[in-house]
Amino acid sequence: MTRNAEGALILAAALMAAFGVALVNIAGQQPIGADVALTFFVMVTAFGALHAAVRRWAPKGTPYLLPLAALLAAVGLSEIYRLNPEMASLQKWWILIGAGLGILTLWGLSSVGTQILRRYRYIMLLLAMGLLVLPLLPQQWPLPIRGLAVNGSRLWVSLDLGFIEMRFQPGEIVKLLMVAFLASFLAERQAALTMRTRKVGPFEFPEPRQMIPILVAWFASFGVMVYQRDLGASLLLFSAFIAMMYAATGRNTYLVVGGGLFTIGAAAAWSAFAHVQTRLEAWLVPFEHYETTGYQISNGIFALASGSLSGTGLGLGRPSLIAFAPTDFIFAAVGEELGLVGSVLILAMYALIISVGMGIALRSRDLFRKLLAAGLTFTFGLQSLLIIGGIVRLFPLTGITLPFMSYGGSSLVANFVLIALLIRISHEERV
Amino acid sequence: MTEFILALLKLIFIALLFLFVWQIARAIGSHLGGFERRTKSKPGSEIVFVRSDNQAGLDFTVDDVVVVGRSDQADIYLDDSYASEFHLRFSSIDGGLVLQDLGSTNGTYVNGRRIGSPVGLSKGDAVQVGKTVMEVR
Repeated sequence: MTRNAEGALILAAALMAAFGVALVNIAGQQPIGADVALTFFVMVTAFGALHAAVRRWAPKGTPYLLPLAALLAAVGLSEIYRLNPEMASLQKWWILIGAGLGILTLWGLSSVGTQILRRYRYIMLLLAMGLLVLPLLPQQWPLPIRGLAVNGSRLWVSLDLGFIEMRFQPGEIVKLLMVAFLASFLAERQAALTMRTRKVGPFEFPEPRQMIPILVAWFASFGVMVYQRDLGASLLLFSAFIAMMYAATGRNTYLVVGGGLFTIGAAAAWSAFAHVQTRLEAWLVPFEHYETTGYQISNGIFALASGSLSGTGLGLGRPSLIAFAPTDFIFAAVGEELGLVGSVLILAMYALIISVGMGIALRSRDLFRKLLAAGLTFTFGLQSLLIIGGIVRLFPLTGITLPFMSYGGSSLVANFVLIALLIRISHEERV
Repeated sequence: MTEFILALLKLIFIALLFLFVWQIARAIGSHLGGFERRTKSKPGSEIVFVRSDNQAGLDFTVDDVVVVGRSDQADIYLDDSYASEFHLRFSSIDGGLVLQDLGSTNGTYVNGRRIGSPVGLSKGDAVQVGKTVMEVR
């Protein structure tokens, strides 16, 4: 596929967003007008500018990722508009900001390359740690930057600039920084981790000394996340850690040990946190807790069921019955209005993004880039899988966002940067 | 009447989504297909360095016997400080490919497992020596 085809598909995705918003207007018997034009304009500006930046700074980068991301954003934006038009206008701003940061990423790496990330790994680690503890700042104190408690979790930071208060979740950026740190660290130590091993029973372990910095990094991030009650994100980070160790060494030991550590961690979380027990109950028997904890999952299931094969049509279902529909449960809302066919198409888009990302990793000859691409794709894929799996009751629900579709600034911005990094890596591998 | 139009519009929207995804999937598929077609006619006899400090991307074919190692005397020179002088031997026996470790210091790994006795290789197997990984194509 050529760059021009990529541009054409981005234009098509912008038209789909406008079409979706128009359908919502028709269904609601409102005049079709400014919102349709504005949606089209924002989509074309954001993704068109990103496309231009790819042409300029990563001309050999993969052409598949941007159109797929644009279409996901288009479907997500139509559904958010249908649920809550005010949130949709905020989401448009976030799409523009995200695309801007994606362009900034491509520009920033245009002369130095992704190797710069490899060199400054401990700075990235420090930055990640700093961002992680930001939400634990006091909620009331003189400095303009404060922590926020939302729904019992300490994940948010509020930046009060006097005229405007901005809220963001640093955890989303921390994910990217940690993956980049791990890729750099493992690329450096790959030989030592694979070759100097000690045998314990059937398993081979690297020398403990080699593992110290990485274990410190892992315990610190894990500890803070458990303390902040964000078990979804800590699971994500932990799995990324195991997956990248496996990708770097090719040793099954890490999968076995990782699985064991996960089981222990899950059991500990279950016995220590009441809300984990509630989640598990709501997953196994949602209808018995319909009035309370099972309400959200039950309504997600009802939404998917009433969507049937081809859905009720955009704007014609009742997805607003689901709690947190624009953020965590966007997939259930889309499933209701576009049906099984629509949801399977969404799954196909995620599957394509993951296969393209893993393809970039497989074809990379530089170990750091390989691990970076694999780690980024893995976190993207696992996040999509966990939240969709949580909605269809494959796993217990973890409150994380669906990349590119959910309403949410921090997540959207982080995913734009992630896609820009993948495009940049594929460009560098073909130069 | 309006219901009919709404249903029609809904189907058009889903059909357009499908067309879009199908276009990209087909493009990715033909891209991957291009990689498939490049492989040699005789399967399982070509070895490619997929991960190495200086030899990534190089390949060689095993017609009879090929000894790989860090010595100049080896058939294929292996640029890896963890490799032994004569590290391992690929042999082509009855159309199948067999790998034997020649008593190396740091060992040879096939798909992550250290080998003791000679093993048969099939397409896609990864052979690792130190930092270097070779793949059977």
